Amino acid sequence: MLSCKELVALSSDLLDAHLSLRQRVAVRLHLAMCYRCRRFIRQMRLSRAVLRQLPQGQSAELDALAARLAELRRQQG
Amino acid sequence: MTDYPADQALLARLRAGEQKAFRELVATYQGAMRAVAFAIVGSRQADEAVQDAWLSVVRGLDAFQARSSLKTWLLTITANSAKNRLKQNRREVLLDDLPAPHGSIGDERFSESGHWLLAPHAWHHDSPDALLTEDELRQCLERTLASLPSQQGSVLHLREREGLELEEICNLLQVSASNVRVLLHRARLKVYATLEHFEETGQC
Repeated sequence: MLSCKELVALSSDLLDAHLSLRQRVAVRLHLAMCYRCRRFIRQMRLSRAVLRQLPQGQSAELDALAARLAELRRQQG
Repeated sequence: MTDYPADQALLARLRAGEQKAFRELVATYQGAMRAVAFAIVGSRQADEAVQDAWLSVVRGLDAFQARSSLKTWLLTITANSAKNRLKQNRREVLLDDLPAPHGSIGDERFSESGHWLLAPHAWHHDSPDALLTEDELRQCLERTLASLPSQQGSVLHLREREGLELEEICNLLQVSASNVRVLLHRARLKVYATLEHFEETGQC
């Protein structure tokens, strides 16, 4: 029987669908019985979704870089 | 024949030297390229490595055959530039860890039998949109991400924000699959701890 600590250790592999069949069964069994770990996994998925939506900035810098690269390309061609 | 029609269209505009096309390219891939360089050469040389890579990209535009996606091509060039910057042998994977602002989900959260001592509370916000409306939380997360050791931060970025498969990350960074998984897991737990802290205290 998997402990909560072991479940947390497997949580990333669960998110990435990287568990062996045996681990998958053990994780499913544990989650069926443990609301705390269910909550933990739900919130792990939520934090992953937050990261995916976190905006990336620095657009002025990128404008300058793009201008330089385009210029370089035109010089080449 | 190509499997990447969107790339083909962009490629034609890049070859014509269209500035807007470069803007698109840079906006789409700079973050991922930085993450790759950061993981290989660390923060001090990452910017230079990315610059080298961009120059190689511009030089290589005509020769690029589009047998791979643009993304794969760009990231491979970046990994190579970064490796060229590393004159010595490859850095060992830094499995040494650094503390994050709000810690992690560590052993102290569990009893000796492995049960939760301090179980996770239910968070108030239940969607990414709801969480991200909090300005302070966004800044708080940025701080946590900035605190991650370079390889941890890069692996997290490439996996979560760029959507790379673990295998692609291993190949680009030349880190074993098991190490990539360790790095990713540590980084995720720190992000979790930051969100948890924010949900419990309402501040960073």
